[in-house]
Amino acid sequence: MSQLLEIKNLTVTVPGSGGTVHAVRDVSLTLRPGEVLALVGESGCGKSMLCKSIMGLLPKSARIQQGSITVDGRDITLCSQREMRRLRGTLMSIIFQDPMTVLDPTMTIGAQIEEAVAHVDKSLSKKQRHARVLELMEMVGIENPEERSRLYPYNFSGGMRQRSVMAIALAGNPRILLADEPTTALDVTIQAQIIDLLRDIQQRLGTATILVSHDLGVVARAADRVAIMYAGKIVEIGTAEEVYYDPRHPYTWGLMQSLPALSKGKESLHTIPGMPPTLVAPPKGDAFACRNEYALAIDYEQEPPMFQITDTHYAATWLLDPRAPKIPCPMGGGLHG
Amino acid sequence: MINHKSKLRYYGTKLLIFLLSVFLLSVLVFYISRLAPGDPLLSYYGDRVEKMSVAEKEWARDKLGLNDPIYVQYGRWLQGAFHGDFGISFKYKQNVMEVISLRLGNTLILGGIGYILIFVLALGLGILCAWYEDKWVDRVLCRFGTLSCCIPEFWFSMIMILIFCVTLHWLPSSGAYSFGQAGNIPDRIRHLILPMSVVLLNHPWYYGYMIRNKLMEEMRADYVMLAKAKGQSKATILFKHCLRNVFPSYISLMAISVPHVLGGTYIVETVFSYPGIGTLSYESARFADYNMLMVLCMLTGIMVIFCNMLGQIINERIDPRIRANEVLESSEVSSL
Amino acid sequence: MADTLLEVRNLCHQFKLGRKAVIRAVDHVSFDLKRGEIFGLVGESGSGKSTLARCIMNICKPQSGQILYDGIDTTDRQAFRKNKTRLQQERQLIFQDSASALNQRMKLCDIVSEPMSIHHIKPKRGSLREEAAFQLHYVGMDRSYLDKYPSEISGGQRQRVAIARAVSMEPKLLVADEPIASLDVSIQAQIINLFKHLRAEHNFSILFIAHDLAMVEYLCDRVGVMYRGSLVEMAPAKELFANPLHPYTKALLSAIPLPDPILERKRRRIDFDALEFSREGTFTEVLPGHFLLQKEAAE
Repeated sequence: MSQLLEIKNLTVTVPGSGGTVHAVRDVSLTLRPGEVLALVGESGCGKSMLCKSIMGLLPKSARIQQGSITVDGRDITLCSQREMRRLRGTLMSIIFQDPMTVLDPTMTIGAQIEEAVAHVDKSLSKKQRHARVLELMEMVGIENPEERSRLYPYNFSGGMRQRSVMAIALAGNPRILLADEPTTALDVTIQAQIIDLLRDIQQRLGTATILVSHDLGVVARAADRVAIMYAGKIVEIGTAEEVYYDPRHPYTWGLMQSLPALSKGKESLHTIPGMPPTLVAPPKGDAFACRNEYALAIDYEQEPPMFQITDTHYAATWLLDPRAPKIPCPMGGGLHG
Repeated sequence: MINHKSKLRYYGTKLLIFLLSVFLLSVLVFYISRLAPGDPLLSYYGDRVEKMSVAEKEWARDKLGLNDPIYVQYGRWLQGAFHGDFGISFKYKQNVMEVISLRLGNTLILGGIGYILIFVLALGLGILCAWYEDKWVDRVLCRFGTLSCCIPEFWFSMIMILIFCVTLHWLPSSGAYSFGQAGNIPDRIRHLILPMSVVLLNHPWYYGYMIRNKLMEEMRADYVMLAKAKGQSKATILFKHCLRNVFPSYISLMAISVPHVLGGTYIVETVFSYPGIGTLSYESARFADYNMLMVLCMLTGIMVIFCNMLGQIINERIDPRIRANEVLESSEVSSL
Repeated sequence: MADTLLEVRNLCHQFKLGRKAVIRAVDHVSFDLKRGEIFGLVGESGSGKSTLARCIMNICKPQSGQILYDGIDTTDRQAFRKNKTRLQQERQLIFQDSASALNQRMKLCDIVSEPMSIHHIKPKRGSLREEAAFQLHYVGMDRSYLDKYPSEISGGQRQRVAIARAVSMEPKLLVADEPIASLDVSIQAQIINLFKHLRAEHNFSILFIAHDLAMVEYLCDRVGVMYRGSLVEMAPAKELFANPLHPYTKALLSAIPLPDPILERKRRRIDFDALEFSREGTFTEVLPGHFLLQKEAAE
């Protein structure tokens, strides 16, 4: 099976004042053409850093310690900045979290989209470029593109700005679209619109998408596969159905149980005790062990490997070891229960 | 549709504030110059004053109108000023405006060209530093900037004179041209080199440093991340996006810094005895040449006030957010 | 003792934009808050939720309307001045961004005990420091945090400190303006549990402003929906979520993402056309306890 994106054993560190932060630790994942993979995790779990490594936009001080990112058969960790620049926009694009600040305030929306268009195909005439800009704006659902293209970002609402950012990202027909918390800064109704638009465009253009989010609800609407990240590692990955209806990792259980939708009528919400570890000195063994009510002795000693549950479903917890005690999912077999 | 009435009102208010400031300035300068020590008779009669009797002095004061109360003197001055008559210079016994017009050209050459060069240089330096952020180029230039800011111009000028005129005899130490060579352009240029270098070595660092910091701040903005993700090169991002965002503040900085540069030029002129406004101001203050001092202060003051207001207006107008404010307001109301 | 703690009557607040333009941030809003009740206020950004909260806390001065706190009209300057101390002690506000609401240069023990030292309240537990330790313990943080600075703790902990500070005055009314918006899911749950606990133990009344509707449904007794400055619908939480009547409420509820892939993919969202909205009409009780902004029937 052909993989569009294959990340193998990627480890990224960022030196900081308090010591070197291990932002991404030994992450492996694959992305097939045309699928939506969601990365879910709490803030600081390394999901944004992972996105930035794929885009080659890591901060200058960050180091890729080991591993490879192969896009379309090419290891981009070996590419020079110049080569990366050529790949950005055409092979992969990104949508950022806060549409309020990512647009240049002194430039019209049209001009900013046009820049992206010009970068992709330098042979286009001014007229052709403008036509493409309008086409893109229409595609992301901006009405009256001709008129709107002459406006500045401050004239736009948050939703419209995020649509403009999407138009910029889609200008080069990228094979991979990274959406880094694209709706976190938006209102609920706008969030739903943007997620639907993302899904719609993804299906129309067949763009493989990585959707980064902390919201399990948003992810449920759009994702084919879901990866749960904790402390720089992927702890569980599988199809959306598998992860939502048959979660295996205690952290996934904790995340799901703390959702109010699953606690209707209960006296209090489930909480995960403690705090995520700092990634300056990742603890020995499983990073989640000290917050895990089902932790086994081995969790404190040795990091669990990825256990395979089905062809597509993997989880990194010792509970899946044949020798471990059988612990049923506390939600009684996922949401259906 | 931005209505003209509000625009008219906007500029009308600005003009009113301007005129008021100028008026206040004239009152202040007039009073303070008379409070300052110094005998105006000395500038009028020179050394002869020492031989004059008390009665003679009194007569001279009367003649020059110096015995009236200050507000009467001010009223007289104001009346004359409205008719374009700023009185005569005590020192040169000529109409003040005539003396000034002879010198103004020289200052404009030194200050004007210097001013333009300072900001072109500063921009270049700032971009260079921002480009090579934290590399040795940036570090060296920043150190230089700090250093040059601490060196006073007059001291620096004297060092230059010492090196290039006294020791090496390469360049003339004073004046705008050699005696009788007023029309000789190469000679004028030779006289300009030293004062100009002092001006240029002293000022641009500071502004360059500001540009650098502003640019680097912009380079960390989120929209730069998006531009990078679009696949744009560092040069495009720096010149097309960041510089654009820095420019409004730079232009207003340029306007606001006119007095700073002007002050520097005056000092340099004085040290090099360059026959410009600066030297003239110095002389007039020293010899209590009231009329001259008054006009020069007013001239400089008007320029400073004007430039400050210009900077303010530029700042308000250049940002598209502010420029379109009126339109935005009306559209937002209609949508509610 | 009256059952109603806070009563807002026809409150209006406008922001001036330039000479002629005004934005009606809060427009004829009326509702009441009973003792021991958690009232949720939802709506999109810019719908006037925060402005309303500020008016209630006397940070903004409303143009017209009344806010009766325990019978005191807080919009009336004289009444306010007469009861100033009491009002300031009994009403507390929690902001969304606790990082900027806490002074970065103050230790946590000073932050938490500051309201007490301002009001010269004699600490029940001996010293202010003991008092601060008690309050921190109450929100689930131990003594070791007393000498830390806000920058040394996480967002969730900062929010707890903000709550501890508010709670230290033993207020009767807690106004929480998006207290969980910037927090992670598992931390949100902790804060929500804390709110529930505070209400159960101390009979706090809480005005809970949020845009996370799932949390509002879980936490609140009654919910008001705001749109462009107007309160368009108000009902008990169960009733509102089961039977939304206003088209905007319907759109809002249909946009709540459900953590269930199969269900969620099939769900259709309802769009609300802003042009359909008219603020004309009256706020009437259509069902018991269920209020709706609607045009009067042409009878």
